[in-house]
Amino acid sequence: MASFPGAAAPGASRALARPRRRRPALLGLAGILPALVLIVGLILYPVAYAIWLSFFDKHSFFPQERWIGLGNYVRLAGDPEFWDSLWKGTVYAAGTTALQLGFGVAAALLLHRTFRGRTVVRALVLFPYMIPTIVAVIVWRWLLNETFGLVDHLLVAWRLVRQPIAWLSVDHIMTSLIVMSVWQFAPFVTLSVLARLQTIPLELYEAARVDGASAWARFRHITLPQIRAVMFVIILLRGIWMFTKFDTVWLWGEGAGAGAEIRTLPIYAYMRTFTYYQAGFGAALSVIMFLLLMVATGLYFRLFWRDEEGM
Amino acid sequence: MRRLQGRLGLALLYLGAAGLAAQAVLPLLWMLSTSLKPPREVLATPPTLIPAVPTLENYARLLGQTAFLRYFVNSVSVAGLTVLLTMAVGAVGAYSLTRFRFPGRESIARLILCTYMFAPIMIVVPIYILARRLGIVDTHTALVLSYSSFCLPFSLWLLRAFFQSIPIELEEAAQVDGAGRPRALAYIVAPLALPGLIATSIFTFTLAWNDYIFTRILIVSDELKTLPVGVQDLFSAAVVDWGLVMAAGMLITIPALAFFMAVQRHLIAGWGTGGLKG
Repeated sequence: MASFPGAAAPGASRALARPRRRRPALLGLAGILPALVLIVGLILYPVAYAIWLSFFDKHSFFPQERWIGLGNYVRLAGDPEFWDSLWKGTVYAAGTTALQLGFGVAAALLLHRTFRGRTVVRALVLFPYMIPTIVAVIVWRWLLNETFGLVDHLLVAWRLVRQPIAWLSVDHIMTSLIVMSVWQFAPFVTLSVLARLQTIPLELYEAARVDGASAWARFRHITLPQIRAVMFVIILLRGIWMFTKFDTVWLWGEGAGAGAEIRTLPIYAYMRTFTYYQAGFGAALSVIMFLLLMVATGLYFRLFWRDEEGM
Repeated sequence: MRRLQGRLGLALLYLGAAGLAAQAVLPLLWMLSTSLKPPREVLATPPTLIPAVPTLENYARLLGQTAFLRYFVNSVSVAGLTVLLTMAVGAVGAYSLTRFRFPGRESIARLILCTYMFAPIMIVVPIYILARRLGIVDTHTALVLSYSSFCLPFSLWLLRAFFQSIPIELEEAAQVDGAGRPRALAYIVAPLALPGLIATSIFTFTLAWNDYIFTRILIVSDELKTLPVGVQDLFSAAVVDWGLVMAAGMLITIPALAFFMAVQRHLIAGWGTGGLKG
């Protein structure tokens, strides 16, 4: 045994974990095989099939199909509803991601301070993220109910508004959806940033304080660079997840009526497939959604990725 | 002056913490309050914050007159089976990725990260068509398989990070001391990987418990529906019975929150060590 357990310097753990001896490759392959079968069979194959399907004019439930090449994509480019859903989807994704980030980071910084009852507050803050989407939706639809809702009642009673606001009407449904989504998903940001904050060595702050750095300077020059890498990942993940978010948006508006105002790209793809039964066109919309994400992710990496972040 | 500033800062800190806790919890408390009100009080204006005479009437109606209990049992069994399958397949897979060298190992790891980018909306239609070909549309098997494969990439990633953090020397030492691989696994690796296994199982459970879209598309029969879809149907009635819907909301939330509270400490540990650094 050529190991020196005492010598586990930082960064050494990865090297230690790497197998240095040739181990039975077959056993390893057998171990990963079930996972691969599931991932290939139920994720990669369906994705490939969706791409294939996007070249067909196909009914969602009946077997007949007709090859139309890029027909769906041509149609999509001239479809105002597509462009509209792309715009609404972008507004929703950008708006919710930015607000989640603002609230999430502020909450994480606050919860990183020491105060009595901190453990309890830390747990409570995660509640909105842990409850099922359907619950978040019904709770907020009840809170924002135009006639009997608590929010409008309080707004009127405190004289902040004169008339109750119809939160689910054409004018306000996007706003209320964004509010509700930020409430639901900001805890993810809080939790991720908080986990990272806890790993910052306290000596850094002590050294800075000895040097007379102000609170702002400590935040700017110690905290911010330290959480930069985690923020990079959070923005990427939350952006992707909000752009492809289906259940929250669908349950909030159900596509029809005022729901047309929050018809984001995933909703539009779903409706084409399951309301109009145009599986081929729906698939083309999904493929475009994915391509847009790939391009955006590529750009994001090019603009903001720094090698020294070493993740 | 300095002392005053300190006091003010402290006051602001507590105020902020109280605000944070309030925004997270008050909407849920309002759900609880509504669920305990008799129908007439639910629609009272101005609304009463605390029910005048709390009653379990809504819960009784929910359990007696709707298929809620059926949906509940379905959700528990689907989420439970998903956790079992994902953990079995995921733990073995992640262990293999970190402990054995085989051709394509690195590209498999990269492939996993890549699949992480696909959203459910992209694959539900093909999965529906696939399930129909396999003859498993409208079965819980279809749901469990879909959830498991959907959770696997992230679970593998998370567990891989955990296994990587366990020094291989510990295992080798156990084997040198005469323990076989199975015993080394059971006594050395499993306890050290426990936080990771717990974090992964929470993630999997939550996804299966909360999912809406797969059930909406793969399940047709009312008696096979899981909670989110079943409750949406309650809620989509022409006249919404808010007391009933809020009672349903409470009963779906409680298991999810109870599960979360029970293992919360491990979750945060998992988030830090594996979730995002991996």
